[in-house]
Amino acid sequence: MDFLNLLARLADLSSETEAGAAPRRTALSRLGQAGATLLPAVVAALPRPAAAGVLENNTVLDVLKLALTLEYLESEFYAQALALPNAAAFFGSADNRTAIQTVATHESQHVALLQRLLTQAGATVPTKPNFDFTGSKNGAQAALFPDVFTSFDTFLKVAQLLEDVGVRAYKGQVESVQQDSLLLGTLLQLHSTEGRHAAHIRGMRRQRGAVVKSWVSPSDAAITTAGSVPAKAYTGESSSAQYTPAPRLIPFDTTLPINVGTPALSKEALLAKVAEAFDEPINAATATELAQLFIY
Amino acid sequence: MSDSASSFPGRALRRRSFLRVAGATVASSALLLAGCNDDDEVAPVTTNSNTLVLTNNTVGLLNYLYLLEQLQAALFQKVVDAFPSDFTADDRAAFIDLRDHEVIHRETLKYLLDTSVYDINVGTNVLVFKFDSFNLSTRSGAYTAARTLKELSVSAYNGISRMVLESKEQPTFQAHLKLLVKMASVESRHAAFVRDQLQPNSFAASDVIGTNGLDSSKTPAEVAPLIAAYLPITLDVTALIFI
Repeated sequence: MDFLNLLARLADLSSETEAGAAPRRTALSRLGQAGATLLPAVVAALPRPAAAGVLENNTVLDVLKLALTLEYLESEFYAQALALPNAAAFFGSADNRTAIQTVATHESQHVALLQRLLTQAGATVPTKPNFDFTGSKNGAQAALFPDVFTSFDTFLKVAQLLEDVGVRAYKGQVESVQQDSLLLGTLLQLHSTEGRHAAHIRGMRRQRGAVVKSWVSPSDAAITTAGSVPAKAYTGESSSAQYTPAPRLIPFDTTLPINVGTPALSKEALLAKVAEAFDEPINAATATELAQLFIY
Repeated sequence: MSDSASSFPGRALRRRSFLRVAGATVASSALLLAGCNDDDEVAPVTTNSNTLVLTNNTVGLLNYLYLLEQLQAALFQKVVDAFPSDFTADDRAAFIDLRDHEVIHRETLKYLLDTSVYDINVGTNVLVFKFDSFNLSTRSGAYTAARTLKELSVSAYNGISRMVLESKEQPTFQAHLKLLVKMASVESRHAAFVRDQLQPNSFAASDVIGTNGLDSSKTPAEVAPLIAAYLPITLDVTALIFI
């Protein structure tokens, strides 16, 4: 598996200690070196493209720490639910509990993987924050989701929010690791696992009567109050504007032969399908702000 | 996931074979480059109209993904054209969504490729894919077909990160990456959905998600044999260099 190779390569770097450098700088440096070392020599020897056009300016260390924060968040969320004294009743069915157990297992595997990546690179692994999934900051403010662990529907809403944010956040960090093909590959593989989770949680909600598709759709019923911080989980997701790298707006509504249904869709309905066909990224700041809703 | 591909001996082998392929390219590229100046992107060529040869650049990669999206769009269109009799209204709506998303992905890639799209001269003679190995007249058969192609698509999109390109190609590849990953997210949602429809709770089962919670990843060399039976052409991905 690629990540094993990645770990081995990162481990090789552990002897290259830079005496006198601050721990963070050392870790950054090592991770920077890892980026170059991981690439085949034929690529690594070549000059890197200009950073122009890169939205995020995060180091690889920043990316891994953000990913770990989000995976801590998801992992802890499902672990708390599965540990509820009335868990069997809470999940309603054995199938529901099995599904959540599957997701929980992956999230704890993601935590372990990211912790190993950081450790092997010589970075300090951030400790798991304190989480309050009601969003009350441990009682310091009004709760956003007061019944998250007493109402299965609320639990699934929060699960959907966390999973969709995870998908968006990984996508937002792709450009920051694009120089490192193995790390990029790992991020993409984490990202598509989160996409599967999100789709399944949405399916569970649909079975319980919620108006929501397995893919993010403008027709989904909102799960948060418009304009609130939690609503940022979906800000921009309904966009049907996509651009070529040129950049040039892709003319979905005029030129491309995508209106193939019978009967043909209205322009509005067609652009809603375009919005469904592309998931949008969020940047690190937005992902962090959303994670902070549940951290105290 | 292919464990052998990333073992150290495997990596060393690939490095050696890369050099071999690079050497071979010097000899054969004169043919491909005829009529192009150095700045032109080399379009993949269809020789004797029956073999699609993909080049080791962004054009080759995008044509590869374009072919996969064509394949998926064709499958979903075929199901939509004649819904299985045991399809529910929800099944129908879902397959129409799936068809529409894949057509949108297909046309997006075609638009990105512009004159470098491999079937630019095909006119109305679009490829007719072969789905006779599936039973598309039943719900179970339609979802089985969908699951098969969706898993290929997810692993193929995850695999694009492993492409090894010349330096001058890196910026082009990276410029397209963000848009490709936006489509990849939706492919993974589709995959989970069709799996669940076929077998409840199989959205992220252990046959696709490894022990570290990582989804599958395949190179074109791994994908090509898996789609060969559906293609009316031969797909030649030997030039594409993946680690």
